[in-house]
Amino acid sequence: MQAGAPFLLDGACCFQHNNPSHHGCIYVIKSSSFQESNHLSLLNYIIRRLLFMILVLFGVSLLVFSVLMLIPPGMRVAAYVTSEKIPPDQIEAMIKLYGLNDPAPVQYFRWLAKIFRGDLGFSATAEAPVLDGFKRYFPVTLELVLYSTPLIILVGIWLGTVGAIKKDRPADHAIRILAIVGYSLPTFWLGLLLLMFFYGFLGIFPPGTLSVEANEVVFGSGWNRITGLLTIDAIINWRWDIFLDALYHIALPTINLVILDSALIMRLMRSSMLEALGQDYVRTALAKGAPNRVVYQTHVRRNALLPVITISGVLFAGLMAGMVITETIFVRKGIGWWMARAALQLDVPAIMFNVLFLGLIFVGVNLIVDLIYAAIDPRVRLG
Amino acid sequence: MSTEVLTEDMKTQGPSRHPGWSEFVFSMKRLFKNPLTIIGLAIILFFVFLAIFAPILAPPPRAHDPFLMPHKGWQIQPSPPSAENPLGTLPSQYDILYGVIWGTRNAFRIGIAVVAANLLVGLILGSIAGYFGGILDEIVMRIADIFYAIPILVMAMALVVAIGRGLSSVVVVLIILNWPTYTRVVRSEILVVRNMDYILAARASGASHLRILFKHVLPNSIFSAIIVASMNVGVTVLIAAALSFLGLGSDSGYADWGAMVATCRNYIVGPAENRLAYWYLVFIPGFTIALFVLGWNLLGDAVRDVFDPRMRRR
Amino acid sequence: MEKLIETQDLYTDFFTFEGVVKALNGVSVIVNEGETYGLVGESGCGKSVTVRSMMRIVQTPGKIVDGKVVIFFRAEDRSRGIDILRRSETYMTSLRGDSISMIFQEASTSLNPVLSIGFQVGESFNFHRRAQMLEETIKDLNKELSNRVFFLTRGWKVLQKAVFRRELAVLQSYESEIDHVDHELYEIENQNDKESLHRKVLLNRRRDRLREKSFLVEFLKRFPFISYYQRRQAKTVRRHVVKLLRSLGVSNPDRVVDCHPHELSGGMQQRIVIAIALACHPVLLIADEPTSNLDVTIQAQIVDLIKQLKQTIISSVLFITHDLGLVAEICDRASVMYAGDISETAEVREIFHNPLHPYTQGLLRSVPKVEQADKLNTIPGTVPALINPPSGCRFHPRCPSKMDVCPQEKPPLIEHSPGHWVACHLYTDGMK
Repeated sequence: MQAGAPFLLDGACCFQHNNPSHHGCIYVIKSSSFQESNHLSLLNYIIRRLLFMILVLFGVSLLVFSVLMLIPPGMRVAAYVTSEKIPPDQIEAMIKLYGLNDPAPVQYFRWLAKIFRGDLGFSATAEAPVLDGFKRYFPVTLELVLYSTPLIILVGIWLGTVGAIKKDRPADHAIRILAIVGYSLPTFWLGLLLLMFFYGFLGIFPPGTLSVEANEVVFGSGWNRITGLLTIDAIINWRWDIFLDALYHIALPTINLVILDSALIMRLMRSSMLEALGQDYVRTALAKGAPNRVVYQTHVRRNALLPVITISGVLFAGLMAGMVITETIFVRKGIGWWMARAALQLDVPAIMFNVLFLGLIFVGVNLIVDLIYAAIDPRVRLG
Repeated sequence: MSTEVLTEDMKTQGPSRHPGWSEFVFSMKRLFKNPLTIIGLAIILFFVFLAIFAPILAPPPRAHDPFLMPHKGWQIQPSPPSAENPLGTLPSQYDILYGVIWGTRNAFRIGIAVVAANLLVGLILGSIAGYFGGILDEIVMRIADIFYAIPILVMAMALVVAIGRGLSSVVVVLIILNWPTYTRVVRSEILVVRNMDYILAARASGASHLRILFKHVLPNSIFSAIIVASMNVGVTVLIAAALSFLGLGSDSGYADWGAMVATCRNYIVGPAENRLAYWYLVFIPGFTIALFVLGWNLLGDAVRDVFDPRMRRR
Repeated sequence: MEKLIETQDLYTDFFTFEGVVKALNGVSVIVNEGETYGLVGESGCGKSVTVRSMMRIVQTPGKIVDGKVVIFFRAEDRSRGIDILRRSETYMTSLRGDSISMIFQEASTSLNPVLSIGFQVGESFNFHRRAQMLEETIKDLNKELSNRVFFLTRGWKVLQKAVFRRELAVLQSYESEIDHVDHELYEIENQNDKESLHRKVLLNRRRDRLREKSFLVEFLKRFPFISYYQRRQAKTVRRHVVKLLRSLGVSNPDRVVDCHPHELSGGMQQRIVIAIALACHPVLLIADEPTSNLDVTIQAQIVDLIKQLKQTIISSVLFITHDLGLVAEICDRASVMYAGDISETAEVREIFHNPLHPYTQGLLRSVPKVEQADKLNTIPGTVPALINPPSGCRFHPRCPSKMDVCPQEKPPLIEHSPGHWVACHLYTDGMK
């Protein structure tokens, strides 16, 4: 909403024919106070959303905890011990120690308190406390997500637009088929096929995060691990060979993700553009004498992009989760890979933490997306 | 002086059929004009055929559990397609063709069980939330929000770990995790319908809540739920396959497509002379899944194109 | 009175899934200079389709399949009209919004919700008066540069001026080329031999292909920061927009220009729509039921506004409505349409005092009068679906004076008395 927008009464208008200084109209302008209230309502909105977010996170923690309670105490103990694996004979003692047979609400708050203290348990699969494992594995996932998300969105928007503009012509049919096939492919299958063809047959794009030599460099001494993102760190360390190596290994998983997930954006963009094209303001634009190109670019595209923005948040969060399979196939040691192994080996702390973390990401990203949307769409009133 | 021209129509035009029926016929005709629908239906019918005639097409070696795949020999290395194993074998010599055919039954079981159960739950909960509103609505929606906050696959993994592995856990887990989608759809439809005048009229003439719900509200809201259901079967099967792939579904040797794909991870690259040696292993089970999901997605898309009131008549 | 625009036997079909909807069945309408022409009829009779065909913005799946739409905009040669159905799309684009403008029924949805009012009204100026805007901007910049200016700002302004001048030069050369093409097309307009037709096709194609852009300018327009130079021109346009809005009775145009459509009331939105249509002083304004969704007081205001504007800016108005009262109030001549046909065309007084077509008579009869105490009069039956329209005269199933010939032949539109045309078999052989 624009600051200082006048509050016009219906039908009130003034004719200023010959005497420009004569205003025969009545209107109320809340100029300065309006500006204030505009900012206030934005703050209001953010605060309300944050509170809501906290509420949802509590709910998520409840959910996770209920899942936790389904697990027999013997396995749950690992969530409470931070430093090392528990020898089997001590399990009973541990259970008593941590009160794992107490009533559920008591345990819940105790568990919650533990989490707030930062004590998240020991992960058997990571062979380290959960938080350390997280610090080790998260950047790998983040890197892949950061590389694929923009590509997915751009490819999806581009092809979706083309499909809408050339509706019912060969290009459109091809794009629709591409979208629906991409939507139906199992994540793991495409990845395996790509690996088989490119790596197995052509010998390029091997799985893993780095080649063996690069690995030695990165984990050796003299390497400044600042962000954990291999490509960024490589630039910071001014090792362009490592940079290229990391890119080389990221390429195939990115292609995999782009093929699969851009289908979603493609379909959404296409239908959103078609819907925008059917609107009355397009008719007005044509009647104004706007050439087709301008109609598409200026009028239709902005309106069509709005739903896509909304879904980008979901996409981002969904990608984080989809990493489970992609990382398993391409053997990239990120949180998805960690989670898959943890599930197989019943590493409770790791799973619980990952679920909580992903919930946090999802809610947070949604909040950001909503704010962006509110900033872009002038119709959204934050009051 | 504002005057309007009024004309009354006292006769209906055309044959006096029940309007619902002619709409239905129109929709069906529209449905079948789309080539993608035909392809989708063909695919699904093909799989239905496979599922129904499984005992004939691939006689189970062990009658008590037909889902255990047969294997001749214990050689780990998979064998390429041959007369004996038309589609080749998995590691440890499990016949792929057998797995594909019996896996169809599995896939249908999972897909339909989950979707049907979810449809029911969604209708009930959605109706309650949408129709009665108020605090009931708030509670249901907040819980749905919480479920939405965590991606399905991850949550499914956690639940499967908690409940224990196996196919039945997968089904249970998926039912538990999918209910918000259906509930939301039903609820939003009911919210729209609830405020319509004919509901007010029904209440004014003394109909009870239950009667209104069943006779007036639900029939109008059920369409969207069906559309969502038909589009959801594919996604459900994909997630179930993903869980099996990760090893959280059935055990090895069981006719489950996802598990079959999982076995090929060590055989992506063949020996140096023929690097694509195990192509059948990588390609075939996954292709079956893709085809199955594609069929359902095509059908779901076509159903939505036809029944979605906003997109008709284009 | 001189003809301004004329449709001759216009046939428009919609190729829908259920079948071919024959929306227009040979519609002939003549709008003269300086008159307000009313197009009356029930919903679905084809009024909107007619005007959309005239402007060639028929929505898919519709297509104009036959007929002519001839405009006579050049005062010097009334004998040679331009058949705009045979012209290129770029010609139409230059016509729409500039010579012929249209305003629509639902103002709130006619405006793009994410763009500001100033932008949307300014588009009219940017499409059709770009050269003028550029010249003014350059003049302003010159004036600013003649004063003492800080050297960095000076450099920026000089850059702006240079780009604008380049753009103006390209635009002017484009426009002169277009003028040549148009002139030649106009010369051979009435020649229909094979060679001329071929030449026309070539010329139309050439017109479409001419580009008014220079690479450099286009590139700069998209370059991240340099593209801000365009804001200078936006300021000029904004001045014009504010002036325009003020003249239409919009209060506080400076504020309104920055608003978005949803912040304004219905009456205000309709004024904006009118502003968009009138920005370039069109010769013909087509109003497609502009007041049907407004309450009566606003309706009166808008109608007054249109009447006023007709005296100053516009020449003719083609007013579509289903409200006979409005027709009586503002129109000079009117046509009554039914199911894709023109039933009757005459001066408004004639139509009300001496309606010839049974449909018109039925319409007028069904208007409730104050002293009427008994049942309302109606025309029995319903408007037919146009996929399978009735044969011959489309009104015959409901006509009280139906004759044997009516289902067989479509009655031609004949001039029963001077200026009074009717399409009915009752009058085709000189009867009555």
